[in-house]
Amino acid sequence: MRYLLRRSLHAVFLLLGVSLLTFLFSALAPGNYFDEMRLNPQISPETVAALRAQYQLDRPLPVRYAHWLNAVAHGQMGFSFAYNSPVAPLLWARARNTLLLTVTATLLAWLLALPLGVWSAAGFGRAPDRVVSWTTATLLVIPDLVLALGLLIIAVRTGWFPTGGLTSVGFDELSPLSKLRDLAWHMTLPVIALVLAALPTLVRHVRASVAEVLEAPFLRAALGHGLPHSKLLYVYALRAAANPLISLFGFSVGTLLSGSLLVEVVMSWPGLGPFLLEAILARDLYVVIGGVLLSMIFLVAGNLFSDVLLYWADPRIRTAASAK
Amino acid sequence: MKQRRKLMIWLVILAVLHGIIAAAGFFAPYDPVEQDRERPYLPPMHIHIVDAHGHFHLRPFFYPLRLREGSFDQYEEDTATTVPLRFFERGAAYRVLGFVPSRLHFFGAPGDRVYLLGSDAYGRDELSRILYGGQISLLAGLLGAGVTLFLGALIGMAAGYYGGWRDELLMRIAELFLALPWLYLLFALRAFLPLAVSPLEAFLLVVVVIGMVGWARPARLVRGVVLSVKERDFVRAARGFGASDFYLLRRHILPETASVLLTQAAILVPQFVLAEMTLSFLGLGVPEPMSSWGNLLATLQQYNVLVSYWWMYLPALAIVPFFLGYLSLASALQERAGAYKIEEKGNWNPS
Amino acid sequence: MQPLLRVENLVKHYAAGRSAGSRDKLVALDGVSLSIAPQSTLALIGESGSGKSTLALCIACLEHPTSGSIWFEGIDVAALHENQQRKIRPQIQLVFQDPARSLNPRWTALEVASEPLIVRKDTSNQERENKALELLDCVAIPRRLASQRADELSGGQKQRLAIARALALEPKLIVLDEALSALDCSVQAQISNLLLELQSSFGLTYLFITHDFAMAAHVADQIAVMDRGRIVESGPAENILRSPSHEVTRSLFAATLPITETPGVGLEL
Repeated sequence: MRYLLRRSLHAVFLLLGVSLLTFLFSALAPGNYFDEMRLNPQISPETVAALRAQYQLDRPLPVRYAHWLNAVAHGQMGFSFAYNSPVAPLLWARARNTLLLTVTATLLAWLLALPLGVWSAAGFGRAPDRVVSWTTATLLVIPDLVLALGLLIIAVRTGWFPTGGLTSVGFDELSPLSKLRDLAWHMTLPVIALVLAALPTLVRHVRASVAEVLEAPFLRAALGHGLPHSKLLYVYALRAAANPLISLFGFSVGTLLSGSLLVEVVMSWPGLGPFLLEAILARDLYVVIGGVLLSMIFLVAGNLFSDVLLYWADPRIRTAASAK
Repeated sequence: MKQRRKLMIWLVILAVLHGIIAAAGFFAPYDPVEQDRERPYLPPMHIHIVDAHGHFHLRPFFYPLRLREGSFDQYEEDTATTVPLRFFERGAAYRVLGFVPSRLHFFGAPGDRVYLLGSDAYGRDELSRILYGGQISLLAGLLGAGVTLFLGALIGMAAGYYGGWRDELLMRIAELFLALPWLYLLFALRAFLPLAVSPLEAFLLVVVVIGMVGWARPARLVRGVVLSVKERDFVRAARGFGASDFYLLRRHILPETASVLLTQAAILVPQFVLAEMTLSFLGLGVPEPMSSWGNLLATLQQYNVLVSYWWMYLPALAIVPFFLGYLSLASALQERAGAYKIEEKGNWNPS
Repeated sequence: MQPLLRVENLVKHYAAGRSAGSRDKLVALDGVSLSIAPQSTLALIGESGSGKSTLALCIACLEHPTSGSIWFEGIDVAALHENQQRKIRPQIQLVFQDPARSLNPRWTALEVASEPLIVRKDTSNQERENKALELLDCVAIPRRLASQRADELSGGQKQRLAIARALALEPKLIVLDEALSALDCSVQAQISNLLLELQSSFGLTYLFITHDFAMAAHVADQIAVMDRGRIVESGPAENILRSPSHEVTRSLFAATLPITETPGVGLEL
């Protein structure tokens, strides 16, 4: 228990550190949102000054940080200059779209990676393993950007998938089932891109962990006891290989918000990624900080989640932790 | 040793690939900024050996493409004239490595322009732009990796050698950097710096920004090496003759970090080239008229380009052989170092 | 005559816990005192874990003792600052147990032997090379091996190289920390004879650390026995060998010298 408390404390410190860093960084950057406005001859300098005062941009840095921390403690995340509304609801709306994509992609990737990895490890060095190894090697060599753009071009030339957006025009008039179908149709391409990007690493890790475990004497003994092969693989071997995979899963959870940025931008998916990019370019300070913080929360939560899972799943860690 | 041979093979392959890009002036038939407003968005040309009448030509040739009547982007071959391809042709002037002037090109077509990979909106030859663009993208990746490894080695050595509170502090900061989403950090760093700068300044900014993002992992690895080497007897012995810290670091400890640094280099360079491509694709990197693989791809953001002019995607494929070469090199290096590690796509999905 | 080296009440603690502020400590040296006369050999005998290596490191100014003093030629080197210590270090050299680890395996023999001179900074390349070759001669390493990589030499040759390196800066005191323990018996004999020769040629003083009484008997003028961070018995070599009194001395004696041998007789190797 104390172990988990310590990890949680660590996580909080990390979050604070990152928020401070981001805040410092964006606040120190040359230029801010209102510079654009100042260039506009139609808006008087007094208006700009008034707006700046309203958003407290004139106050010194530590004061602004303190105010912001206070706001976060109350569940708010500051104010967006560009959208003229509180940051939190804006972020949540976009984050939901992103999560829709990434949760589906992550689940799919893991559901594919586990059997592929196990199958490959079981046939180590032989045909199934070679096929899988070659495929993953090929995929690894094709970077995400290339993959995403390539898929987009295929979509465009075949017309099988839409080239962007969350939903089609006239979405609201569709029946619930059609709505679901429309959403799924729009999601397919980005999900494929994300799955293909994540799959090779996952498969390789599963394969390596399981292959290592398959060498272990206790498994040979189990085989000797006459356990069916598939049960052996999927229940015993996988469980023994679980530790590094749990950490990897925690990492997958952690990158739910931040890993899809590129795909979202390329495929025009209205998620957190393009929104943050826009905000960065517009110097919309609190949106940027809020967005980074949100992603960090997920990352930290992901780590914590895998720590908890490991603690629960592996008795060795429990004893080591309580021995401290 | 089989491992050594594998290493050598990939090194040679990479050297050849880099050589082609470095010699872009020679391999590219045309100057990348040379426009041809008469022929925008030309599709890749077909090279024939047998002509329309069934005659066999010894020298490969192509048919000039003319705009179809009444259309502004449909082309058809004019089978009346054949334009032969000649190798080692004289063409546009360029400078080898920036200072030796030359006019020799690998191939060319006297009398007309050959567009092996098509042309862009201004009629500029895509092949030439890809080759020259590679120079920028690869250079950015290499320099960026250099900056990162330098920073990482410095910080790792300081942390590992001096230990104590310095080590704690540096490693905590490294942890922070490792925790931040890579891509966000990249964008934020670049975007928060002045945007409207000259191409050269933009390039340097890209290099610096990329370099400052990835130092944490190499620093950790170098620190590990330093911690273990520091306690070795031959280092103790050198201290025993009164060697200064600097001497120890330079003569004994640094050489031991070489293998780690080399492996990291092989992993980081392609990722940094990709980082430049991503930045430029989104408009945060190298601007026109300088061409880089990234900003060549930027046109794909226009819907009509995406639909009709598929050859504008080709610059994206250019990086694939480099990824293959570098990742295989990294894997060969790791095997040689004794530990069979799985290639991690690693830093790209933010980690 | 003033002793060359006098250690007074040396204490060394190591923090043993995992975290930085841990209370647990490992007591390596618990009040060690000894002295060595110039141009003589003190054999320090003890089992592994008795603190011998820690003592060696402290004397060579490579570790800071927790308390106590180390008087070398009248100066308390334990109390000096790092910069001043660096100046003293060349006079007290250390030869380690495992030459495979104490020499950088990638370097050539010549490079290893000349490294201390590089640190000196006041010699030219040619001077250094000449001096290094001379050193190799002193320890009977044939010159043709000078350009061989250190890891290609035999065990005995490596240790000779380590000794050559230790001689490079003309030290007054050489601490040999189990320097012969990793070698074959016949090679041990050769090298201990070499050490004796060098001692008379160069007027060296040795602190010879070992767990083996037989070896000590061959080279020592004085013997000190160490157990768990303390000196339990010390005195002239013949006295201790003839009649070891402390139980630790006796058990070590019995372990490393054949029971039937009479101490003091027939121990020439």
